[in-house]
Amino acid sequence: MNIPTLASTNASFLQRIIFGDNAASEAAAWSDGLFMMIFWFSAFFFVLLMGLMVYFCIKYRRKPGVAAEPSPHHNLHIEILWTVVPSASLLVMFVLGFKGYAMKTVSPTDAMELKVDAWKWAWKVTYPNGASSPETKFLSYQETDIGISSGLEYPIFYVPEDTEVKLRMHSQDVIHSFWIPEFRTKMDVIPNRYTGYGFKTPALRDSDTVIQVDDQGISSEIPGRDMWIFCAEYCGDEHSRMAATLRIVPREIYDEKIKFWGTPKDPKVLGQQLWKTMCAICHSIDGSPGTGPTWAPMNGYGFGNMAQMDDGTEMMRDDNYIRQSILDPNAHIVSGYAPAMPSFQGQLSDTDIEGLLAFIKSLAESDSDEQEDNQQADDSAGSDG
Amino acid sequence: MTTLDAHAHHDEGSYFSGPPGMLSKVWQWMSTVDHKKIGVMYLFAILFMFFLGGVAALAVRYELMDPVRTVQTLDMETGEMITTTTGERLGGLKDIMGAKSANEVYNRMFTLHGAVMVFMFIVPSIPASLGNFFLPIMLGAKDVAFPRLNLLSWYIYVTGCVFGVLSILMGGVDTGWTFYTPYSTTTDADHWRVVLMILAAFILGFSSILTGMNFVVSVHKLRAPGMGWFDMPLFLWAIYATSIIQVLATPVIGITLLLLVFERTMHIGIFDPAMGGDPVLYQHFFWFYSHPVVYVMILPAMGIISELLAIHSRKHIFGYRAIAFSSLGIAAVSFLVWGHHIFTAMGELAAILFSGLTFLVAIPTAIKVFNWIATLYKGSIVLNTPMLYALAFLFTFSIGGLTGLPLATLATDLHLHDTYYVVAHFHYVMMGGTVIAFMGGIHHWWPKMFGKMYNEKAAILGCIIVFIGFNLTFFTQFFLGTQGMPRRYANYVDEFQTLHIISTYGSWLLLLGFLIHLGTFIASLVAGEKAPPNPWGGLTLEWETESPPIEHNFHHEPVLTHGPYDFETTVPPHWDPKDYPLPENPSRH
Repeated sequence: MNIPTLASTNASFLQRIIFGDNAASEAAAWSDGLFMMIFWFSAFFFVLLMGLMVYFCIKYRRKPGVAAEPSPHHNLHIEILWTVVPSASLLVMFVLGFKGYAMKTVSPTDAMELKVDAWKWAWKVTYPNGASSPETKFLSYQETDIGISSGLEYPIFYVPEDTEVKLRMHSQDVIHSFWIPEFRTKMDVIPNRYTGYGFKTPALRDSDTVIQVDDQGISSEIPGRDMWIFCAEYCGDEHSRMAATLRIVPREIYDEKIKFWGTPKDPKVLGQQLWKTMCAICHSIDGSPGTGPTWAPMNGYGFGNMAQMDDGTEMMRDDNYIRQSILDPNAHIVSGYAPAMPSFQGQLSDTDIEGLLAFIKSLAESDSDEQEDNQQADDSAGSDG
Repeated sequence: MTTLDAHAHHDEGSYFSGPPGMLSKVWQWMSTVDHKKIGVMYLFAILFMFFLGGVAALAVRYELMDPVRTVQTLDMETGEMITTTTGERLGGLKDIMGAKSANEVYNRMFTLHGAVMVFMFIVPSIPASLGNFFLPIMLGAKDVAFPRLNLLSWYIYVTGCVFGVLSILMGGVDTGWTFYTPYSTTTDADHWRVVLMILAAFILGFSSILTGMNFVVSVHKLRAPGMGWFDMPLFLWAIYATSIIQVLATPVIGITLLLLVFERTMHIGIFDPAMGGDPVLYQHFFWFYSHPVVYVMILPAMGIISELLAIHSRKHIFGYRAIAFSSLGIAAVSFLVWGHHIFTAMGELAAILFSGLTFLVAIPTAIKVFNWIATLYKGSIVLNTPMLYALAFLFTFSIGGLTGLPLATLATDLHLHDTYYVVAHFHYVMMGGTVIAFMGGIHHWWPKMFGKMYNEKAAILGCIIVFIGFNLTFFTQFFLGTQGMPRRYANYVDEFQTLHIISTYGSWLLLLGFLIHLGTFIASLVAGEKAPPNPWGGLTLEWETESPPIEHNFHHEPVLTHGPYDFETTVPPHWDPKDYPLPENPSRH
């Protein structure tokens, strides 16, 4: 699996080794350039100092019978010199750093605003029309001689190419940090205030293509460029799995997608998509253990089965139980689990909750054939990228 | 200028020649108010904590050798797809630690590594062990100003460590050593081990405050006759500056950690927004202590380096006053730069102010490095173990300092913050700086502390292996960070695997190097050659007494007649012409 690259900057060989040749915006390329400037400044002083150190250690090594010559204990001129030169250089770095900071954080007033929501452990991006992306792809994927090896699935967020974007971010629980390495920028996502930053998406080149998988599991090549989004502020058990893909596509594809996601669809399908992008990190549908109870109808779990709560009571997993678990998850905790889930009040609309309910019920109803179909759909989604 | 007549007073025993009988010996050590015994007890306790934190670090590196993958294979006999997970190397510890997942085991391991290394190892490391042992002797005093208080701070340290180890034995915590809210106030809500770990850090703070106060008073009041402020060895200037920070900054973390305990146990909303608190407020409180404390960790190391470079190149330190004042300058500026840990969580104006202030702290640090290199000029340099460690320090610490520049620069920090670049940077400063200097200091003063020499060749081998292992482990991490690897990740995307593997191999080399040192130290204690009083030809007062020092340090109160680095004009006490020549200078005393 390749990290997509863009050769828009004239990165030096060393710069390519340090960052990879993938700065995706002017601000990002500028910040790499600043890093390289500081790097060469540092390298010059480091080589000078270490060179002197090694030279002195050889030239003035202890020789039997020869004593050290007396030499000055201090020298005002040289001491002033080596105070003023670093100070002046640091001032330059400070000013340039300030300039680059402004480039990375300030965006034009007419920039397209995306709402970013974070919780343990997923991201959600809401588009200006209120839609959000249901698509996912695998973090890593390989076919080896012993079988198919894959990481977990992560959501794909689409943005149009060559567009100013600004983020308005908010966390539902603990502090997260929204980092897009290719834009060289991150900002913390905090529960009691909005934070954000802006970036200009790059224009796509002919060689930028990605594989997309449609609802039927058919894959096709479209123009686009993928980049990682990582959570950079430690947030608990699945911190390292709190990732997503930012996919830059031509404006037409973007418009078509958010229009499609904005229109009502079969509740069951909606529920499945919501599960994949928002719930799958904790709740499995195949019975495997996770941070939260599985939704699979087995071993007493799943819709319609009794849940053993940690206060000793039993509750029926019915419509109301599931609704409450989504909106006020810590009202009742299933025995053996921690109260780790944030509330999705305000995050999920009634339509979304209906969709999740329909999907959870369908798991209990579905026979083994349907399960296998789902499995296959998931597998083919994995061939993505 | 002799203050010691070894032959006349040979009846007075060394500080560790106690009464006969195992029990009374143990009691003598446990109830001692002798700064040397307390220093030695600290040394062994601190090295044990280093071992504990090191084991956790090795576990962290071991887990990171491969990314976690789900592998689906076809079972030929049944025709079914079998799903297995690979790469969860610490998964086996899940049940022992009572963790939900392999990720949680990893999270507890890196927290344990950080908390043990910061609170129980590196903050007390040099001041409490070498500082305790040598500060009074270098001042020419019999003991610290308040010997009983010194014993109290040792027991507070032990109590703090017991709390920390108890928390670890109960399964450990997964908050990260920084205890960031609201994660730290909500994770494992039913368990006391998080509170125990927070209390451990709280208690350890008092040990730090009391030791700091003791040292400040000792430096002010107990200097030998003739020793003005500028006749003090630079190690003491460094310890003095460190102690001031400890006394001023540690109460803030104490209060903050207590608030954290209140929030967890009594649900008083201070930091958790769900209860009306502000999580970023915690970060400000936390770093208001924890940034100055970075200098508590590094200043004593800088002090050691000043001593080692001067003595082992037989040169007067270059720019004594500049080094002394830069220690105080660093201590002062260190209180103004805490915000650079949270550039991504604060407003623009604050970020710009803190960026500017952060650059200020780089200047005194740079001055020190220039002075150290200049000290070597025209010296008589011997490459023994302490000196090799001092040179290794110049190498690694310079990298640590210079790689801090892109972190102080706002534009580049937005990319590098919370990545492996930061991990590499602070390990270059903390391990490449403090630990390397600590190792150099231990080798330098080992003959004085225990009266035994060690095998020089083995120690040099250990030093070289530690140096290579260290750079292999952490240099790779700079690239991981710039290329996009966030820190505190149990799992990662495939591209980063090669660098992670190299880093892990480096950690094994580090282990080998430290094991070699452990071996040379044990061999030295068991069968080492007797150390002369002044094996390196030092001029500071600890070299005037015997090795190991006698119970009251000196037979007579020493009177200072020369500066600590006057190698050109002074005959070192107990000088043996076989060891090193002296300049043909008639003005010598």
